[in-house]
Amino acid sequence: MNVVVVGAGLAGLTAAAELVARGAEVTVLEARERVGGRTRGLEVEPGGWVDAGAAYLGERHTALTALLAELDLKTTPATVAGASRFALRDAGRTRPGRFPPLSAVALGEMFDALEEVTRLVRPDAPWLTEDAARLDGVTVERWAAERLRHPDARLFLPLFLGEMMAADPARVSVLHMAFYLRSGGGIRYLNAFEGGAQEWRIAGGAHQLCERLAAGLGERVRLGEPVLALHQDAGGVTAVTPRGRVRGAHAVVAVPPVLADAIDHRPGPPAPRSTPVTGPGCAVKVHLVYPSPLWRGLGLSGWSVSAEGPLLSTVDDSPAGGRAGVLTGFVTGAEAVRYAALPASGQRELAVAQAARLFPELPPPTAFHLTDWVHEPYSRGCYAALFGPGDWLRLGPGLTAPHGRVHWAGTETSTEFFGLMEGAIRSGHRVAAEITWRETP
Amino acid sequence: MNVDAVSAVFREVLEISEINADSDFFVMGGDSLLATRVLSAVARASGVELEFDDLLDAPTPGALSKKIAGAA
Ligand SMILES: Cc1cc2nc3c(=O)[nH]c(=O)nc-3n(C[C@H](O)[C@H](O)[C@H](O)COP(=O)(O)OP(=O)(O)OC[C@H]3O[C@@H](n4cnc5c(N)ncnc54)[C@H](O)[C@@H]3O)c2cc1C
Repeated sequence: MNVVVVGAGLAGLTAAAELVARGAEVTVLEARERVGGRTRGLEVEPGGWVDAGAAYLGERHTALTALLAELDLKTTPATVAGASRFALRDAGRTRPGRFPPLSAVALGEMFDALEEVTRLVRPDAPWLTEDAARLDGVTVERWAAERLRHPDARLFLPLFLGEMMAADPARVSVLHMAFYLRSGGGIRYLNAFEGGAQEWRIAGGAHQLCERLAAGLGERVRLGEPVLALHQDAGGVTAVTPRGRVRGAHAVVAVPPVLADAIDHRPGPPAPRSTPVTGPGCAVKVHLVYPSPLWRGLGLSGWSVSAEGPLLSTVDDSPAGGRAGVLTGFVTGAEAVRYAALPASGQRELAVAQAARLFPELPPPTAFHLTDWVHEPYSRGCYAALFGPGDWLRLGPGLTAPHGRVHWAGTETSTEFFGLMEGAIRSGHRVAAEITWRETP
Repeated sequence: MNVDAVSAVFREVLEISEINADSDFFVMGGDSLLATRVLSAVARASGVELEFDDLLDAPTPGALSKKIAGAA
């Protein structure tokens, strides 16, 4: 049996490796000239890598930790001790720990409200949540305007959602937010570094996951071959690329939902994978490189949170065992869209100036790197696709239902750890099992 | 808010039943995120808006109820 896998991200490559292990022939067709999709490495000094895409994981990410062990990759703690810097209501402020200097009562009001809706959602099938229609029909922005009374709660919610899911509150439904928070292990788990979803990074970079998976698959992986069409008949599926045709008994589409719909499916699937309101998560990652992690010597963790962009938060991502110090800046949500539209020189200037205001004791960075996920034609949503108002009710029931011989994977098809590397890997295992089961006499 | 009312808030936020007047919020599994939820519950029930440092300073239902009475 031959299986055509569309997309060499974590989901596609996990599925491909598992299918090969089960004895199938596999061809992986990848649009870009590299594997990895939303994981990507950036070498900031010889042998010193940082993550331009996905970076963090925690112990509940069991499929990912198993894959790391299989591929002989190690983790490194993401936590850095020291004080944080905040530019929220007033200019720079230094505080121990990561908690923002806003009214604690206001933050409690916000977390209460989030907890309330997170609890309501049915995580395995959010579209079957009691009251799903109401929760899916309203944006987070409108809900927050009604539910949050405290100005500090209203100030912080967009920053929190930007950090958690790169979401603009005006574009995402309450049901999707609640589902996402629940799917990832709840607000506390998602928010925490130590003991939470940001406990570790992958030593040497998350991109190595896909590079090693692809190395194991060898010539089965073909780069620079976007799949334009998938034609099904009774005997199989034909994938059409600019270079030719590849035939399989089954196909796995392991790409984000908007891109799955961009493929010309014949016959067309009974339901779309996305709708006009399915939004892209919006993120730009900036890396500021210093001769060493100078802030650590000053009792600072490198963590900062700002109400004004572009750098809504910064974090110490210095490569373990290397010399360079790296501050990663996150630009997310509506701010990412604005920032991504600026010319390169303006982007650099704004980021460097903001770093200087946040950390006046640091010299200017020696290097600057910017990764714009907003304009990546083969991602269309980072960290992940955001389901807009009405989407879960329309798209949920068909999330994993195969369309004949075409099967769906990708982090957006996983109700567990949706949007994360963990969700992508779990979807790869699920789809490989689905095909194997179909082929078992 | 009396000790029992504050204990009830601790129980709800921490999702555990073994809370008495001397239970330390942070020892019983509380963190800064959950602390804000205690403080918002206190504000709703008593009208008193405390800060995070107040809970660090008075981490038990006994001590916190005194602080609330003092601030009211
Ligand atoms: C800035 C950023 C930060 C993130 N941080 C984290 C984090 O800290 N922790 C975490 O767990 N997750 C994080 N994520 C999310 C994580 O990267 C994704 O959930 C995961 O990598 C998705 O894997 P995937 O295989 O589902 O999709 P992708 O990685 O998007 O893979 C899809 C692949 O399909 C290819 N493709 C698309 N269309 C076609 C076509 N027509 N034909 C052929 N190939 C095609 C693409 O080029 C791509 O290689 C982050 C993402 C970003 C962008």
